[in-house]
Amino acid sequence: MTRWPAIFPPRAAIPFALVVVALALLPVLVGVTPYERNLFTLTFLMISGALAWNWMGGYLGQVSFGHAALFGLGGFVAARLMLHANPTPAPIAWFLGGVAAGIFSLGAHPMLRLRGPYFSIATIGVGEASRLLFTYWEEFTGGASGLSLPIDIGMKALLYWWALGLMALVVVASFLIRRSTLGLQLLAIKADVDAAADVGVNATFYQDLVMVLSGAVVGLTGGLYASFFAFIEPSDMFGFDRSIAFVLMSVIGGVGTILGPVLGAIVFVLLRQFLLASYPQLYLGLYGLLLILIILFEPLGLTGLGLRVARAVRRRRAGARRVVASP
Amino acid sequence: MTTADPLLATRAISKSFGGLKAVDGVDLELREGEILGVIGPNGAGKTTLFSLIAGSIPPTSGEVLMRGFRVSRRPAHKLVRAGVVRTHQIVRPFPNLTVAENVAVGAIHGMWRATGTPRERAAEVLEFVGLADRALDLPGTLTLAGRKRLELARALATVPLVLMLDEVIAGLNPAEAMRLAALIRRIRDERGVAVIMIEHVMPAVMSLSDRVAVLDHGKKIAEGTPAEVVGNPLVVEAYLGKGHGEARP
Repeated sequence: MTRWPAIFPPRAAIPFALVVVALALLPVLVGVTPYERNLFTLTFLMISGALAWNWMGGYLGQVSFGHAALFGLGGFVAARLMLHANPTPAPIAWFLGGVAAGIFSLGAHPMLRLRGPYFSIATIGVGEASRLLFTYWEEFTGGASGLSLPIDIGMKALLYWWALGLMALVVVASFLIRRSTLGLQLLAIKADVDAAADVGVNATFYQDLVMVLSGAVVGLTGGLYASFFAFIEPSDMFGFDRSIAFVLMSVIGGVGTILGPVLGAIVFVLLRQFLLASYPQLYLGLYGLLLILIILFEPLGLTGLGLRVARAVRRRRAGARRVVASP
Repeated sequence: MTTADPLLATRAISKSFGGLKAVDGVDLELREGEILGVIGPNGAGKTTLFSLIAGSIPPTSGEVLMRGFRVSRRPAHKLVRAGVVRTHQIVRPFPNLTVAENVAVGAIHGMWRATGTPRERAAEVLEFVGLADRALDLPGTLTLAGRKRLELARALATVPLVLMLDEVIAGLNPAEAMRLAALIRRIRDERGVAVIMIEHVMPAVMSLSDRVAVLDHGKKIAEGTPAEVVGNPLVVEAYLGKGHGEARP
């Protein structure tokens, strides 16, 4: 009988649960400065977004350079709902922002007939078109001057836990998708879409499904992000930089894996935070260098590097044992 | 369903690519539990005929019937649900999935006609084709014969009624070819699957097939038992050219 991996292997589930609980208790037991709390919150949000992007880019192999459109749409829909004369409670506004982004993602249906670089180029077009559309749609987005949300100090502190909860859900969802028959079919479509159809996989349906799931979660992230900054503008929310950020985080960490986008997002947020303050010109260059090194030497990014180190250590240990064992 | 309706039938099915008629008005019938060989010279339209039946490409005209119901012009994944599955001449495993996962992808869609989980189904099929010990390996580590078995297993996991094999024996050494031929016979005998096979390896196709259809330039030029077909002068002409057997000037 073939051994099959559990959907959520205990080896990953137990450390993950411990980390989430520790992070949830951190502000209560240890205490964090507002600066640290904001950094954590931002990291949780970026991890959620990167993992959701990875469902498309990693599992399905459709690399999107246009996810900022979904992030921005979710953010502005949530912001508008919260600003309305009868303000919607923030969690409902975020949720509806995610729903709006999910519905908008259905528009990718014709593009998903394209594969590889052709799909990526199409997403650049849609992403940039969205940015322009929403910049000029001043009634909705406030145009170039953006939207200010009511400042709510209590909300900003609470967002730490909301963002942590979202991240935990997205990590669990990533495991569920990857290890279920859905993930198996996505990987089959990634490898050979025609061969997958020949054994019964409805490629069109599953591509649309993953696009909608990915878009909805990225939209949800955008909603929380809008509450977090309390001020959003189209050039930032819909910017090409933001689309690139989703790609960068996954590729730096290890595309197609679950640990990868998590590591990638942490590195991305920290590097950005420290470099942007002191060397604003250097930080994009550093990402570029990192990307070149990863593509040349380690396609699985930081995750691949970690695996390589683990293998080397194990080999060295095994070698040492053999030396000891042999007379 | 009436007994008069064959399991699978094509009615005057045709496919044109521009001015070229790749398949031209072919009528084929496949009965339950039968192995039908399809032979013909290179470029006769055999693989195109398979693609038409499997729904990979739509026909220009004509139709495909399954037990009397039209199944043509449906996408490939729906034909798998109806019970028609094909393999490819050049094997196409999913290189990023293990052998067992490759088969499980097929098994997901066999659940319409089988019990158990896709994983149990995959394990059973791997055992049947003799790849159980390679379940956790990547397809790239298999020999050609192993990859052909994998291609067969992935198709079988969909629990087909009709299995279409596109040159699964070609390219194997004689011992491997014998074992694979035996496996094809077991698929029919033990699993009750009807088989249509394109094959160039004549000893295999002649010994396995109950009936053989011959295609040439997109048309069916002969059909019958292996012995009848071999003796048919039209078939000899298609393979060897006109004038064979006559005194040369």
